[in-house]
Amino acid sequence: MKSLLIATLLGALTSLAGATATVGQPAPAFTVKDTSGKPVSLADFKGRTVVLEWVNPGCPYVQKHYSSANMQGTQRDAATKGAVWLSVNSTAQDHGDYKPPAAMAQWMQQQKAAATATLMDSDGKAGRAYGARTTPHLYIVDGSGTLVYAGAIDNKPSANPADVAGATNHVKVALAELQAGKAISQPTTRPYGCSVKYSAM
Amino acid sequence: MQRFLSLACSLACLSAPLLAMGAPTAVVNTPQVQAELVAHAPEGLAAGKPVWLGLKLVHQPHWHTYWKNPGDSGLPTTLQWTMPAGVAAGDIQWPTPSRLPIGPLMNFGYEGTLLLPAPLTVPAGFKGDTLDVKLRADWLVCKDVCIPEGGDFALQLPAQQATAGHAALFDAARAARPLPVPGAQASAAVEGQQLVVTVSGLPTAWQGRDLGFIPETGGVIQNAAKPQTTWQGGTWMARVPLDLQRSESPKVLPAVLTSAGQAAGLRIEAAVTTAWPAAAPAPAAVPALGNAQVTAPVANIGLVVSWLLALAGGLLLNLMPCVFPVLSLKLLGFTTHADDRRGRLLGGLAYTAGVVLSFVALAAALLALRAGGEQLGWGFQLQQPAVVAVLAALFTLIGLNLAGVFEFGSVLPSSLAAARARHPVVDSALTGVLAVAVASPCTAPFMGAALGAAMTLPTVEALSVFAALGLGMALPYLLASAWPAVARLLPRPGAWMAHFKTVMAFPMFATVVWLVWVLGMQVGVDGVAALLGLLVTLAFGAWALGSPALGPKARAGFGGAAALLLAAALVWALPALRQDAAAQPAAGEAATHDWQAWSPERVAQAQAAGRPVFVDFTAAWCVTCQFNKRTTLATADVKQAFADKKVLLLRADWTRRDAAISAELSRLGRSGVPVYALYTPGAAGPQLLSEILSVAEVRGALNALP
Repeated sequence: MKSLLIATLLGALTSLAGATATVGQPAPAFTVKDTSGKPVSLADFKGRTVVLEWVNPGCPYVQKHYSSANMQGTQRDAATKGAVWLSVNSTAQDHGDYKPPAAMAQWMQQQKAAATATLMDSDGKAGRAYGARTTPHLYIVDGSGTLVYAGAIDNKPSANPADVAGATNHVKVALAELQAGKAISQPTTRPYGCSVKYSAM
Repeated sequence: MQRFLSLACSLACLSAPLLAMGAPTAVVNTPQVQAELVAHAPEGLAAGKPVWLGLKLVHQPHWHTYWKNPGDSGLPTTLQWTMPAGVAAGDIQWPTPSRLPIGPLMNFGYEGTLLLPAPLTVPAGFKGDTLDVKLRADWLVCKDVCIPEGGDFALQLPAQQATAGHAALFDAARAARPLPVPGAQASAAVEGQQLVVTVSGLPTAWQGRDLGFIPETGGVIQNAAKPQTTWQGGTWMARVPLDLQRSESPKVLPAVLTSAGQAAGLRIEAAVTTAWPAAAPAPAAVPALGNAQVTAPVANIGLVVSWLLALAGGLLLNLMPCVFPVLSLKLLGFTTHADDRRGRLLGGLAYTAGVVLSFVALAAALLALRAGGEQLGWGFQLQQPAVVAVLAALFTLIGLNLAGVFEFGSVLPSSLAAARARHPVVDSALTGVLAVAVASPCTAPFMGAALGAAMTLPTVEALSVFAALGLGMALPYLLASAWPAVARLLPRPGAWMAHFKTVMAFPMFATVVWLVWVLGMQVGVDGVAALLGLLVTLAFGAWALGSPALGPKARAGFGGAAALLLAAALVWALPALRQDAAAQPAAGEAATHDWQAWSPERVAQAQAAGRPVFVDFTAAWCVTCQFNKRTTLATADVKQAFADKKVLLLRADWTRRDAAISAELSRLGRSGVPVYALYTPGAAGPQLLSEILSVAEVRGALNALP
């Protein structure tokens, strides 16, 4: 009976915590299907640093960071530091920017993105749990499951790809500080970009 | 010569793209906006005369651009001027913005026709017939999609003539500018997760009105939340929820107060009088449990205190309505050993061992599952329909046995039956196991805090807290079994014992009724029918195989039929008993007329609106919860008190697994139900009421509300 019990418990999906994420507090758990339909949970990466990137290919600010290869570069930088990168698309299915999973996977591939997985959060549950407002909006969860960064990718809020060159990449800085065991100098910054195209509640 | 060439080249190279684009004009049209560089110089160009430039944006319906603080997304429009030396343009004089909600987010910006004016400073002794002005403007225009747009504009102003073709537009923009309020006193103080803004000295026409609050600095408050505002005399006070991901910590917070029907807001500068709290410190890693994402830092009580609280909680658990189903089992245990002191003591010890070991085993399973990332809490076993069904079957069999329908001796293999007869202590230990399975899901006073703390301790220490809890629960029976005086209180053994045994069958069946109801809450009426069908075939099987009245032939025939029926019933019933059969959102008992289903958003919204909130964390399988719900919470007195204080009543139903509720419980430092939380507007956290809820306690807490 005990084994039956445990099997039943493990088999069920962990759903979302509804609270908004706060830096310095445990990051909300989530389970969201990736573009191949496989459920991906934050808990799958226990012990590893996880970067969450809110993405919407239809958003000019997202295009700025992909066309300049800035986002892909940040993804590869995270990978070399052993971090997991989850790109999350919270665009509602009835929105013009919505891409079905296959099209989303294809777009990421065309961009030569280096994300560990691309998650289809079409109902916006994970987005709301993290309080994601813009695309892009980035979060870093450390190995103990604590949210350690929330905010923008860099300090040049514009849609102009030329601004990438002179900008300070907050995510790269935070990942380096995390790797060096230092406190993150700027744990929260103002995210900028398009609003996340959430589904109606 | 060489220098000349390079200069010529650079001029040509610079102007080439400009020419290719065509000379900049005063107008740029896109499908979303018509943009035009306009000027207002009614007295011509001269030092000290009013000279204004402005970008006019006419938005297509439903499209908008942004204010200096765009809110949750978007970007402010930017203007970069190119002027002759000595002439300078000032900052944009932003008109009062509108609130533009988009889903759960809030933006600040403009729709319709907008003029962004900027003052121009003309130096003394300005000479020249004309002034050439160039502007690079960039704006983000959004409807449900966002488009970054921009344009290069050029305008030539005559120095000696009036330029006043857009006077009305400039007048309107001036009229829409937030007005500074001379003599107004504004301050802001951080209180928990809120910013308390206090403003006095506002114009009489604004006094007593419902005001909106839009800060010029972004990244400080929750833009979409409605502040809770009050007027006290001439002082306006607003409690504004802070952004949980606040990025700015300004010393002065400039803001615009808005009022319905007023084109222009009022501009205030609130001095922040308290220090900004640092981001919440990361909780210490809990490697042994590995559940840092579930447990928020709770009241850090020591291990010894946890033991004592757990012991007291375990003792009190016996007084909770939770224990009704197992009381009869315990009474029975006493009577069977009424005449045998050693047997009684052994039984007491065995019962204690059963209870303690079951607590430890359940806790170990809980900790292991939580370490695996599951969002679970105390009582999780009864969140599984399969476990509820197995318990219902077990209680049915015990009830039938007590009623004399069958005897275990006829059912069990003879060797096992003999072993049972020789070891009555095994019975007592199993009674303990059963008591824990059914009674433990509820929490008693003291127990909630001890379990909440145990969840954050290293594994061995956490298990020791649960062992203390079990010891507390078993202690009264252990003491009673060791006390000869208790035995003397019982009547002499005799015929009454047989009657008593039969009578005790009925509380068992009552327990089955409760378990079937719990299952109904979890998987619906189909599951109930499946379980009842299973119980009927089980009863038939027990009678066929175990009735002392049946001969060997009849037993074989009925037994075979029973085995077939049972197998068929299992095949038919099992799918309906699975948790995913409960996919329908029939939120059992969450929503009723007075009560709404709990969600963190509902609590936050009511808090922001200044409404007190009472949350009943409950579960169908928690008898104490049901007891409180049907007694204290159902009394007219309490209902009236809730209505008087306009308390929002929310019910968090934990009958089924619910990660959000589990997370909220651990935030409250609890791990099980019942929990009663009263949120007072403006207070940092909720007030937790007692697990045995009394009318007086609820009324007292409600009377203390402001």
